[in-house]
Amino acid sequence: MSGHHNLSLKVLIGTALALGVLTILTVSVAMIHIPSPFNIVVAISIAVVKAYLVVMYFMNMKNDSKFNLLSFGFSILFLLILVGFTMLDTMFRVEVIPGF
Amino acid sequence: MAHSSNSNLAHHFVDSEQQFDASKMGMWIFLVTEILFFGGLFAAYIIYRAWYPELYIMASSQLDTTMGAINTGVLILSSLTMALSIWSAQHNDRKKTTLFLAITIICAIVFMIIKYFEYTHKFHLGIFPGAYYTFTGIDHVKAPQFFSIYYMMTGLHGIHVIIGVGLMCWLVIKNQKKAFDSSYYTPIEIVGLYWHVVDIIWIFLFPLLYLID
Amino acid sequence: MDNTTTSPNIGLKIKRFTSPDHPEVNFAQAEKGIKAWLTTIDHKKIGLMYLGSIAFFFFIGGLLALLLRLELWTPAKTFLDADAYNQVFTLHGAIMIFLVLVPSVPAALGNFFLPIMVGAKDVAFPRLNLLSFYIYLTGAFFSLYSIVTGAVDTGWTFYTPYSAQTSASVVSMTFGVFVLGFSSILTGLNFIVTIHKLRVPGLTWGKLPLFLWSIYATSVIQILATPVLAITLLLLIMERTLKIGIFDPTLGGDPVLYQHFFWFYSHPAVYIMILPGFGVISEIIGIFSKRRVFGYWFIALSSMAIALMGFLVWGHHMFVSGQSTLSSVVFSLITFFVGIPTGIKIFNWVATMYKGSISLRTPMWYALMFLFLFTIGGFTGVMLGTLSVDVHLHDTYYVVAHFHYVMMGGMLVAFLGGIHLWWPKMTGRMYNEKLANLSALLIFIGFNMTFFTQFILGAKGMPRRYYNYIDQFQSLHQFSTVGSWVLGLGFSIMLFYLLHSLGKKGVIAPKNPWGGRSLEWITQTPPVMENFEYTPVVIHGPYDFHKPIAEFEYGIEGSDSHVHDHHSDQHDNKHSVNA
Repeated sequence: MSGHHNLSLKVLIGTALALGVLTILTVSVAMIHIPSPFNIVVAISIAVVKAYLVVMYFMNMKNDSKFNLLSFGFSILFLLILVGFTMLDTMFRVEVIPGF
Repeated sequence: MAHSSNSNLAHHFVDSEQQFDASKMGMWIFLVTEILFFGGLFAAYIIYRAWYPELYIMASSQLDTTMGAINTGVLILSSLTMALSIWSAQHNDRKKTTLFLAITIICAIVFMIIKYFEYTHKFHLGIFPGAYYTFTGIDHVKAPQFFSIYYMMTGLHGIHVIIGVGLMCWLVIKNQKKAFDSSYYTPIEIVGLYWHVVDIIWIFLFPLLYLID
Repeated sequence: MDNTTTSPNIGLKIKRFTSPDHPEVNFAQAEKGIKAWLTTIDHKKIGLMYLGSIAFFFFIGGLLALLLRLELWTPAKTFLDADAYNQVFTLHGAIMIFLVLVPSVPAALGNFFLPIMVGAKDVAFPRLNLLSFYIYLTGAFFSLYSIVTGAVDTGWTFYTPYSAQTSASVVSMTFGVFVLGFSSILTGLNFIVTIHKLRVPGLTWGKLPLFLWSIYATSVIQILATPVLAITLLLLIMERTLKIGIFDPTLGGDPVLYQHFFWFYSHPAVYIMILPGFGVISEIIGIFSKRRVFGYWFIALSSMAIALMGFLVWGHHMFVSGQSTLSSVVFSLITFFVGIPTGIKIFNWVATMYKGSISLRTPMWYALMFLFLFTIGGFTGVMLGTLSVDVHLHDTYYVVAHFHYVMMGGMLVAFLGGIHLWWPKMTGRMYNEKLANLSALLIFIGFNMTFFTQFILGAKGMPRRYYNYIDQFQSLHQFSTVGSWVLGLGFSIMLFYLLHSLGKKGVIAPKNPWGGRSLEWITQTPPVMENFEYTPVVIHGPYDFHKPIAEFEYGIEGSDSHVHDHHSDQHDNKHSVNA
């Protein structure tokens, strides 16, 4: 089909290797005790990098229409809105009956 | 460029490129719904973990990190082979397309087998979802809550893996019937997109459930 | 302009295609028989099948409403017992929202007209479109099946903990709604891709009819919000079957979390339900004022703004639920802002009519009704969004009146306006306008009788969903019930004249009875299977009423896409405008 960007073998294998390394990193980092909440920040950051690689290279987003990237971005944004606004409630309730 | 009547081109599209781009756009939009669908479970996870951090640390020790890590590797490999099957189709290599699809299917099955062992081990200990929970090994009164979320998240993910296997089998059958070549491989492309999102969801599930220490 | 010329913006060689009002073979004649309809991938037939289903479910939901109002004739039991009453209002709400309002304009009118308005032959994924319809019917089946296995009595909102404990068939109904969600998602997906990818040459975003902007915004909401409803209902089903305890405080869960997840969808859902109506109103007011809609980009972009901002206000349904004061304040504040884009639209519509050549035909009467009724509904929404006021008015009839004003006085009235606007184009027939105007008048009177009274009832303290009430409220309730009968009469007349127009004695309609300029008015009536017998090329905007119709009939040869694939100048002369 015209106008396509074919996948490159080198890029695909390189991405897979990078993902493997990052997985090993994820597990290693979990073995070290990092004080909360930074342990979560580190774990999520590595996961985000891995997801980025999958999206950009395996899913070929790098060469794809900007609209698809925008859609993907919106899904993450609205997920954050769901969590964020709900936590405005769940994290700020006053204890009516202590210890319940 | 096809010179004879292109039977893969639907009548309402102007050309193959428009059809391919439209199909990709459609699948990305569908994947947005999948992200928000799973996202609800991630939201519940976050909210309850913020309420009971010590529970999550304790309960996570019941999850087998090794099996989880192997499964992560298996899915990453399957994403690679899925992408390679598309690469093969783009290079008109029908045999390799089937080969890589088959490896992807095998990886998915391995994933489910490992999952089966994980689940049955838990059931053996009495770690069932919700009201059926009987395990006494975690000293926290809200212990079942963690496992409800665990089973929902991994269970729903597992269902999506099985659906992926079904889709890939269908692709193999169609490919063997010579339905795809370098001028038309759209179904493989969009199943690929779906499969990569299944992988991405696991990339987040793994540290959030298994690696809380 | 000559009959052959070059299009101004894109330099395409175009010529004029005139066609008679009625084609030799229209889309309904092109494939005949029940099987052809049930297996069709033609968006027009799918749209009509949706329209028939929606009308049927509206009839059921309406009967339930009449039943409800009749029970409320006396303060104690009139003829229903308390459990039955709970089941009736739950069903009424669930049917009206999920089976009627959410699909209404998009699935019925959107399906029929979106492809025609962009000049395409069909939506981007026609088979997916048919699948959407069957998923809709499946969802409807499961929802209604619950009536025979133990009708749900939780209210359409299915709040926990009651919904997790009641013996009613909550699983059947929520599974049905879960399935309906997929239909909604697939329709939205189809529409977004169609608008992006299948517009004909010359049809830039700035020349889209405003109806399509509203459908686009609606589709965005459907994609982002519906999945969260899906997971919420799935969790509720798991709560009931496996007792996972996610909403159960004794097991560490939180019942208010259910409400957060539920309203994250259900508030944007009300915008799913109203935005397409706004789109219809834009079309009607433009045509029947013979003026360009005032502030085109303001209306287009305010639809997008509503779509996105609508996701930030869901907590205003939860002010008394026990959520934190902080979140209540934040949600109340943002709720005030969400009224602004809608207000902009109302001003723009009124401005469109100013110094216009107003034509008071049936669709325009519905648009005028809309402006009055929706404005009341909208204002009372802001009043309910005021935190302190809501503490008094929450769960009273004030809320019931508010949402009926926006949903029925707004959306349903707009839907009816759209039906009356596009009836000639879909069916090739014209309805009896005297009867149509009478019906509209009865609906207007009946509606206000029924629901304005409920603002008063609510402010005086009458709670919603209550089966019994104190004697002092009886005369107001009775007045409201009589109003519901007037409404019923109005709808009955409508059913009669619409069906009559389809019969042997029905009047045949011309292809452009109102003088519209968007592509659906240019094509024949009813349209041919492929919508056009050429590829239209758009030169002017959809509200350029001062330009002669002839200048809207330009296009290029060929409706067969396979011809285009062979052209070597394919990339220079792209026969569509891609996003």
